[in-house]
Amino acid sequence: MIDRRSRLRRFVEVELPIALIVAFALGPYVWMVLTSIKPEAEIGTFPPSYIPREATFVHYETLAARTSFLGNLMNSLIVALGAVAVGLGVSVPAAYAFSRFRFRARNPLLVGFLVINMVPVVLLIIPLFVLMRQLGLLDTFVGIVMGHATFAIPFSVWMMTSYFNALPRELDEAATVDGASRLQAIRLVILPLAMPGIVTTGIYIFVTSWNEYLFAMMLSGQNVRTVTVALQSFIGEFSIQWGLLTAGGTLVAIPATVLFLIIQRRLVGGLTSGAVKS
Amino acid sequence: MKRRTVLKSSAAALAVPMVGASRAQSPTTVRWWYHFDNPQASPASLIAKFEGENPGIKVQAESIPWGGGNDYYTRLYAALVAGNAPDCAMVKLGNQSRLLQMKALAPLDDLLAGWAARRDISENLWKMHRAPDGRNYYVPLQYVVLYLYYRADLFAAAGVQPPRTFDDFLKAAQAVQKGGVSAFGMRGGGGGHDHWGSFVLGAGANFEPGGMVSARALEANRWFVELGTKHKLFPISAPTDGFRQIVDNFKAGRTAMTIHHIGSANEMVQALGDKVSAVPVPVGADGKGWTSFGDESNAVFAASKVKEAAFKWVAFLSTGEHNVAFNAFTGQLTVTDSGASKWNLHPKRFVDATAASTALMGTLPNSTKTADFTRTVWPQQMQRALLGQTTPDAMMQAFERHFHG
Amino acid sequence: MRSRPVEPLLFLLPALLVTAAVILYPALQTVWLGLHSFVLFDPDSMRFVGLGNFSAIVADELFWISLSNSVIWVVCAVGLQFALGLVTALLLNQTFAGRSLARALVVVPWALPSVIIGLMWTWMYDLNLGVFNDLLMRVGLIDAPVAWLAQPGTALAAVILALVWQGFPFFAVMILAGLQTIPSEHYEAAAMDGASRWQTLRFVTLPALREVIATALLLRTIWVANSLDVILVMTGGGPGYETHTLPLYAFLKAYSAMEFGYASALSLVLTLLLLGAVAFYVRRVARQALA
Repeated sequence: MIDRRSRLRRFVEVELPIALIVAFALGPYVWMVLTSIKPEAEIGTFPPSYIPREATFVHYETLAARTSFLGNLMNSLIVALGAVAVGLGVSVPAAYAFSRFRFRARNPLLVGFLVINMVPVVLLIIPLFVLMRQLGLLDTFVGIVMGHATFAIPFSVWMMTSYFNALPRELDEAATVDGASRLQAIRLVILPLAMPGIVTTGIYIFVTSWNEYLFAMMLSGQNVRTVTVALQSFIGEFSIQWGLLTAGGTLVAIPATVLFLIIQRRLVGGLTSGAVKS
Repeated sequence: MKRRTVLKSSAAALAVPMVGASRAQSPTTVRWWYHFDNPQASPASLIAKFEGENPGIKVQAESIPWGGGNDYYTRLYAALVAGNAPDCAMVKLGNQSRLLQMKALAPLDDLLAGWAARRDISENLWKMHRAPDGRNYYVPLQYVVLYLYYRADLFAAAGVQPPRTFDDFLKAAQAVQKGGVSAFGMRGGGGGHDHWGSFVLGAGANFEPGGMVSARALEANRWFVELGTKHKLFPISAPTDGFRQIVDNFKAGRTAMTIHHIGSANEMVQALGDKVSAVPVPVGADGKGWTSFGDESNAVFAASKVKEAAFKWVAFLSTGEHNVAFNAFTGQLTVTDSGASKWNLHPKRFVDATAASTALMGTLPNSTKTADFTRTVWPQQMQRALLGQTTPDAMMQAFERHFHG
Repeated sequence: MRSRPVEPLLFLLPALLVTAAVILYPALQTVWLGLHSFVLFDPDSMRFVGLGNFSAIVADELFWISLSNSVIWVVCAVGLQFALGLVTALLLNQTFAGRSLARALVVVPWALPSVIIGLMWTWMYDLNLGVFNDLLMRVGLIDAPVAWLAQPGTALAAVILALVWQGFPFFAVMILAGLQTIPSEHYEAAAMDGASRWQTLRFVTLPALREVIATALLLRTIWVANSLDVILVMTGGGPGYETHTLPLYAFLKAYSAMEFGYASALSLVLTLLLLGAVAFYVRRVARQALA
């Protein structure tokens, strides 16, 4: 039986703070959504108006019909998913090696990946552009996916290593004692338990790729243009298309959020009691 | 478990060299980079017309994000360095000296000599676009001239005329500054050197050695900075205000005057109707002044293998009615005399203000140091002076050092 | 489990190949450029100056200003992101109605591109048209609008707030995932021992999260230290030098002044400083990661 006082207490300690935090997270986004349904004349008035006097979806219509924005969203989705596939495909094995093996090059390599993280991408842009041109990867999905995956890898390796480290070695040993080979142990025991970490790292790669601008701007062209580059095109030399920009910004946040909504159930599930008898 | 093998260059498709001389069978392709403010505008109709008149030439237009100018030019410089620059592109005067130093531009004098419509562009415009070595690398495409927007209704209510001289300006500003409305929406962020230029370059400073630290120059700059620090005629957000802020705040009725150009005229009228009008920027008592000439041209690159075809396209865009059609996309003014006489894309009073301002038009020096000045050095020093972190005189000395060491 | 020496390398090979191909070469080129005086539009006058750039950096007043701004920037932004992210993760780990929705919505700031974040926050901070000034005046907390981004006192803080908003979901998500790996028996044992919630947090939860937190902090610090896109959009480094951080300074030197040699040297200094800070941090705190 839950008495009223502890119900109230729980509300103050859990529901209220969460509501405040969600409000903080959504506030600026809601402002952007409200702006995107205002007619052009109502945007940028003084004093600022909050609720539009007459909501309109004309900016969304223009976005869909008169610009390539929806296609750009699709491009961004392809690039981001590709970066996740390549990034995870490459960093999960590497992290497993760092976590489970001890070899001489281990520490230098780990530190090496960390140092690579520290290199400011911005200065690499022009040499990278020249490199991509020589490889013939300009204006291709492959080029941008490679770029995004590569810059995500050092981070992913480190994060996955720490998630693997959180799983006790006894699990591997328990599996092999039962007759499994190393690969089977990985597939049947370790990976399922590391799923929260893998999912989280995957989300990180997705979001980083989704939001990335510099690389996408330099390496994209007419065929492959991501949504971040498309948004920039609404910011001109003499005017900002606030209506289109806020409509685009509203749409941009949705795929990542929806993806997280779907995936976040996979976050639950870790070591169940009885898995390890120590 | 995926593996990624590095693509070997031999397997990758290297760029096929462009077809050089025009052959009857294979069309020449001209790659052209452009940037339009309005992403819905497309040059497709102009391209179709050109290709109709010039069978054998295909134009491949690529829209490059402007990104405040930085992205467009970063892409251009990177492409030039990597060897896959377009054949021609929209460019501004501020970059001419850097492009020349990179030996990236093709001189166009021979091609220009054979172009009839060349005479439709005034000799003054050609002179402004000519390089220091006397050759023409740029073909003017469109332009704007900065003038002074003012709130006709607020001026009428305060009983003052729109200002003509600097002294008029100070008096008028003090008269209209009331009720939470700032007198002058000053642009202290990147690109704001145009505002400063009208009051300081217009009053006698210049970019020659010693021109920033002469007595007149220092006096003019002190006067300008004090408009903000002493007379409080600028909004307190001025140090970081960019073009968006000055236009939005003027439209929203929070400032009584600001300096911009015809590119924003239509949106001003949409918001303020008859309450907004324009005059040339203030000048000195001797009638001398300075206002920024906002240029845009097309250039052909030295590495292009199809220079004649590229020039044909570029010349097409700067010819009479095609130029006017182009300007409908960009909202700027035609460079052709024939087009200017029948102009109807903007309300007349703004075209008149622009025309009246052409006598004051000036550009920044054709120096490799200019781009850095406009983007970084001027905003930093101006902001510090407005905030009292440096003195106006120190600010001018920094400019002198930047250009002349 | 005995392992053959070649086994780990097989697992590592893909990561190493991709990284070497795409990052290593340009990174090495940056190091090489840092030893030269190189201006992009004047390629003919490129010359080797050895450590000349570095001695110029030490004498450069703006370098020291940028460095101190960077330190404030990193400590405040990462610290606040972490604190808010930790609280959020702990809360999202509780059961309450609408939990799945809350978990997804919290991700929204992180899901937006920097250019949108920069533009929206700049607009919200606007002197006349911004919602912050409007709301604060309506509530009565201020009686005249404040130019948040144009004043020395508030500019850096304003940009930091935007960055905290952008980055706290990262910590929330990472820590939430880490919380899932704590077996429920640990909580049950603590409850049976009569531990208060605060004690459970301190002696059960946080120690178990130690490695995930340490790694997340480490990586986020590196990322924030290097980041410049939000500042670039919001203030461009101004007013004056108020929001000049080290990567922004390097960026302006490269893309405004086109002095790629000096800019490369600046980024090398930044990398070395980060390396030093990270080494110190790892030695003291995150020892487990390298154990």
